[in-house]
Amino acid sequence: MGLQLNVKELLTQLYYNRNVIEYLFGNRDSITVTELLSRDDITPEQYQKLISYEVLYEYQNIVSVNDSVIAMFEDFMEIGEVTPGFISDYLNELNRHIKYYSEGKENRFLRSIKKYLKRINTAITREIIKLQKNVDDTYKNESNYRIKLQKLDDYRTKRDTIIEFIRKAEDVIEETRLLFNITNDLELYSIVASLKSGLIENLDFLIEIQTDITDYINKIQFQLDVYKKVQQLKEVKDRGELHYRTNFREVVQLINPIGFNNHKTPRTKIPIDFLYTDDGYMLCGRVAEKYKITRLMARRMADKMAGNFKDVQIENSLRLDVSALVDKFLSQQKHNLFEFLVAYKFPKAVGTITFEERITLFVEIVLEYEKNFEFKYRLGYHDYEVNEIKKRLGYTIILPKKEPKKKETKKATA
Amino acid sequence: MENTNNNTGGNISTNVKLPKQTHDIFAIMARGHFISSNGTKDGMNRLYDVINNPENFDNLQAYFNVIRYNIERGNNFFYFAKIDEANSLIEKKLESFEKYIDIIDLFASMDNKITIGSRFRPSEIAEECNANVRLKQKLQKIPLYRSETLSNKVREICDLMTRDSFLEREDEESETYKVLDSYTYLMDIVNSIAIYEDTGNSGTEPAGGIIYN
Repeated sequence: MGLQLNVKELLTQLYYNRNVIEYLFGNRDSITVTELLSRDDITPEQYQKLISYEVLYEYQNIVSVNDSVIAMFEDFMEIGEVTPGFISDYLNELNRHIKYYSEGKENRFLRSIKKYLKRINTAITREIIKLQKNVDDTYKNESNYRIKLQKLDDYRTKRDTIIEFIRKAEDVIEETRLLFNITNDLELYSIVASLKSGLIENLDFLIEIQTDITDYINKIQFQLDVYKKVQQLKEVKDRGELHYRTNFREVVQLINPIGFNNHKTPRTKIPIDFLYTDDGYMLCGRVAEKYKITRLMARRMADKMAGNFKDVQIENSLRLDVSALVDKFLSQQKHNLFEFLVAYKFPKAVGTITFEERITLFVEIVLEYEKNFEFKYRLGYHDYEVNEIKKRLGYTIILPKKEPKKKETKKATA
Repeated sequence: MENTNNNTGGNISTNVKLPKQTHDIFAIMARGHFISSNGTKDGMNRLYDVINNPENFDNLQAYFNVIRYNIERGNNFFYFAKIDEANSLIEKKLESFEKYIDIIDLFASMDNKITIGSRFRPSEIAEECNANVRLKQKLQKIPLYRSETLSNKVREICDLMTRDSFLEREDEESETYKVLDSYTYLMDIVNSIAIYEDTGNSGTEPAGGIIYN
């Protein structure tokens, strides 16, 4: 026997561990102790406490919430298994109290009668809602078709049971009309009236559910028939007779979903104006990332202007010169690219260009304008001195392309 | 005609109240996908409910009809067809439906038949095929290209059917697939194919021939 809990303590425990309870309720009968304890929201001590209060149970290493707690949640949320037995219990209680009342005409029996009449009304409605939900759920989610058929059939029986109870309740109301009339209790009248209309309404629902169940069973039967058919078709197909002994071609011809008709999704162009918005900028960024266009990725809000921006400007002008430089190179025939760059006299505004910088420039130009060049697959050599040590550098001989070429204007701005 | 703007702006939406999910619905269905009532990815079941609401259905239908799409209703699923457009590419369609016959036949031959609402993992199917020579043969004969092992082949089938929105990959981690309501579409197709009784002069039998089932 667990420790005694009063309502307040129980609520406190449930509230304090609400995340755990919700988790366990959502994953009924599938969580192991280790899984549960690996969560951040429960410590082993708390867990032991809940076990000792019998809020949680542990059986074969599976943790579950106390059935009464689960039943309470399910009742309240109108989910869970359909249990028409409750209605029957209430009916029995009702009959018992009616018997007492006809003997004693005491008010306390009348109160109980009212209570059970109300309960019957809500219980029937609740059971019907659950029935509807369960039928739907079984049809849509039960994977084993044999169990599915059985379950649907069981629901059909439960439906019949509920109908039977509705009839019984109607009988009780009918039989006690005289008795109730003499009570002259207005509240009782209105309860009976609402129960009556509720019963009629619920009977309608049940008839609808019956059509649903029949419908679902038929559909499953249809699926089974189709599966037989497909096996026949497969046999016909394996014999190579699919196109001759069936109307396969005609049927397929009429298939109209656009997915099977090679219909392309309509593509719309992005409005230019959109590209200038913040969202458009984000979009461009993503595209650039996808296609590795570094130039687009790099272009973003300018940083604060540096103090030495004049020096930077010189470097910019150097970069601006590149396309002109390439044009100049392409229009001559005397030198290959390396010689050309080494010998080239840059304008004074650019300042002195060191040998290393010229090599960097060479590499940059080759990468950027390779389409305009003709690559000779042999090396030229360049001798030079660094700190009086003689060095020799090999380079690929690159000449301007012979055929008329398109001018590259991409790199107009840096 | 084709470059219709799919945002909900424009004249029609000022007169007719379109659901705010119109764009999502269009984005899925214009790709040729089905919207099934038991699909859960990307709130598909909610989209289904939106279309299934009679008022919305009429408004959406009118709206999409303008750009010559027609919403077709099946049993718990919707899809797009084009109005007044000849269904083309018969050869490709024949090929893909022959493949579907193979696949559905495989599903139908499993011990635990796979049908609407079924959940399964490719490894389960591969396992069963491995244990049963008849199934193994069926699976091996399905014309798919890249797969050598049985389980890869099943996986490829699942991929294919997920792409055509008949399956949904419900759980990435455990690789669980669920069969969607749109699968009924394939069932309907199979059901509507008539097999002519062999009367000796096979192939020339008219469409009114005897059907056995």
